[in-house]
Amino acid sequence: MRLTQYFAEAFAVLAGNKIRTLLTALGLIIGVMAVIAIQVLGAGMSGAITGILGAFSDRTFFVLPNQQQADFTRAAIRLSDLQRAKYEVPNVVEAIPASAQNLRGSYGHTSRRVSVGAGTDERFAASTPIRYGRKLDPDDITLARHVCVITQKAAVKLRITGDPTGGSLRVGEHRYRIVGVLGASTEGILPGPAAYDVAIPYTTYEREFARARAIVFARVLMDDPSKVTETEIAMQNWLKKVKGGRVEYQTFDRKSFSKAIDGIFGAVTFVVALIGAVSLLVAGIGILNIMLVSVAERTREIGLRKAIGATRFQVLLQFFIEALALSAFGCLVGMLLGVAIGAFVNGQFIVKLSGITAPIPWARSIVIATGFATVVTLAFGTYPAWRAATLDPIEALRYE
Amino acid sequence: MNDSQRAIDVRDVTKTYSLGDVKVEALRGVTFTIARGEYVAIMGPSGSGKSTLMNLLGCLDRPTTGQYFLDGSDVSTLGDDQLAAIRLKKLGFVFQGFNLLPRTSALKNVALPLFYAGIRAKTRNATAADQLREVGLGDRMDHKPSELSGGQQQRVAIARALVNDPAVVLADEPTGNLDSQTSEEIMALFHHLNDGGRTIIMVTHDEDVAGHARRIIRLRDGRIVDDQVTGKG
Ligand SMILES: Nc1ncnc2c1ncn2[C@@H]1O[C@H](COP(=O)(O)OP(=O)(O)OP(=O)(O)O)[C@@H](O)[C@H]1O
Ligand SMILES: [Mg+2]
Repeated sequence: MRLTQYFAEAFAVLAGNKIRTLLTALGLIIGVMAVIAIQVLGAGMSGAITGILGAFSDRTFFVLPNQQQADFTRAAIRLSDLQRAKYEVPNVVEAIPASAQNLRGSYGHTSRRVSVGAGTDERFAASTPIRYGRKLDPDDITLARHVCVITQKAAVKLRITGDPTGGSLRVGEHRYRIVGVLGASTEGILPGPAAYDVAIPYTTYEREFARARAIVFARVLMDDPSKVTETEIAMQNWLKKVKGGRVEYQTFDRKSFSKAIDGIFGAVTFVVALIGAVSLLVAGIGILNIMLVSVAERTREIGLRKAIGATRFQVLLQFFIEALALSAFGCLVGMLLGVAIGAFVNGQFIVKLSGITAPIPWARSIVIATGFATVVTLAFGTYPAWRAATLDPIEALRYE
Repeated sequence: MNDSQRAIDVRDVTKTYSLGDVKVEALRGVTFTIARGEYVAIMGPSGSGKSTLMNLLGCLDRPTTGQYFLDGSDVSTLGDDQLAAIRLKKLGFVFQGFNLLPRTSALKNVALPLFYAGIRAKTRNATAADQLREVGLGDRMDHKPSELSGGQQQRVAIARALVNDPAVVLADEPTGNLDSQTSEEIMALFHHLNDGGRTIIMVTHDEDVAGHARRIIRLRDGRIVDDQVTGKG
């Protein structure tokens, strides 16, 4: 018994009925494509975000009052609290507001809406490269200077070409001297220096934009990053003590952020993969249907094959391999499309936007998708093949 | 007649179909032997049990009672796969409706039994080609059934029936779908095969066609009513 022969015949049958083959395989193609693409994009996306978080200093954490609490006003954090915290909470070197707002910024004749945020010196950014000039320094902060550092994106937005350091940027009613331009950023999501188009010293920001308003959340810089958990607890307890009464705070650090994000992406990937799996299941039912039709149409042929001596197993094998060939075709096309779409979207959007090339589990994605598709095909292809194998040759030969 | 000369030995075979409570006795005790090299026609009115008998002889079905020895061995109690093996090795079928695989060349159609016998593609094709030449279709090997006349299709079917060198060739109304001219050609082919030593059993309604056989068994209501050698041969 030669399996290659069975496959050759199966492919000949499929090729003899191209439209039907394509339509039947379409479900599989889409299913396999979706499952692969989703896994690839999921990996690319969560890799990018983990990468972004990875670029953020692990010496930083965030603290904010809980949204749901009895006395929200009492719990509000103010600049004066933060300035005391660095002296009173162990391991805290600096605590600053993480605040920003969108304002009209003008440079030369160009005027655009830009985000302006409270910045601090470079200890808070792990690895933001500088393109021109310098980052903010401790003197800028203590003297609350009218200086700013802009991102490369903001420079493009404001049509700044070349080195603008020393130039003047107008934001709202204030003018700031540009002291630096950041390079391509890997730190776009958390409120660090590169998260804002324009970063000014937080002291300046506080005086000119926030005034005495409550701080939504604060960034805390630690001396020893290994003590992050203790420091977070100490910070919360210290705030509770300072505010008095029943106030509640929460903290986020790089680890808890990436955990939360991994959780979200894990869930999203799982749900979408589940949808892909369901579509593969539906495709399996399509195969079941078309194989039953094919067996019915070829009843006389089956009768003939049995009459001339084909065993039940040989007939079973013939139709089983036909289903398998159909699935192989669907898997192959679906795989090519899935990989192409995954690679394209990942490369053109995720990598381009985040600047991070995450490792993509290609082999695993392909194996999961095609493996599941094959299992489904086997499950649904067996029944029609069994039907064919157990046909009575006399009745099959009489069938019109 | 010596046992070893018998291609077919049917002993008191009955076949009863039950349709719910109703029992249809298609064969009511049939006994006969056919020696190697015989050419037998089975005749009888419609419903007399000809096809039923052919299905039993062709190992497509089992008798309800009685025994059937094919080529010396009892096949009346074999299982489905064993019967399939017997059909593959010892029997060749020719049908009224040809039953060729569509969209498949004459050569591949003829080679099909050899595929199930597990023979290598090269040998398969060579044997099938020889067989097609023998039925006079050496120049039509790559034609599909739709590109062949009815008579040619039946020749392909006959080549397929012969390709595994069977002990017995069974033909149920092989000329039923053919005009009289083509029927004559097919009959001549059967005659030629029988001259070459093939054992042939053929069901027919047509006295002229039956006239080609050397012996005619007549059935009525599931029984043999006449069994005689014709003047032929
Ligand atoms: N599968 C079956 N189930 C029930 N009855 C059957 C079955 N096959 C045949 N019969 C009955 O057995 C009897 C003999 O049928 P058979 O087909 O052998 O006749 P036949 O001699 O070949 O007739 P024809 O010349 O019309 O082909 C008929 O009465 C038929 O109705
Ligand atoms: Mg009949």
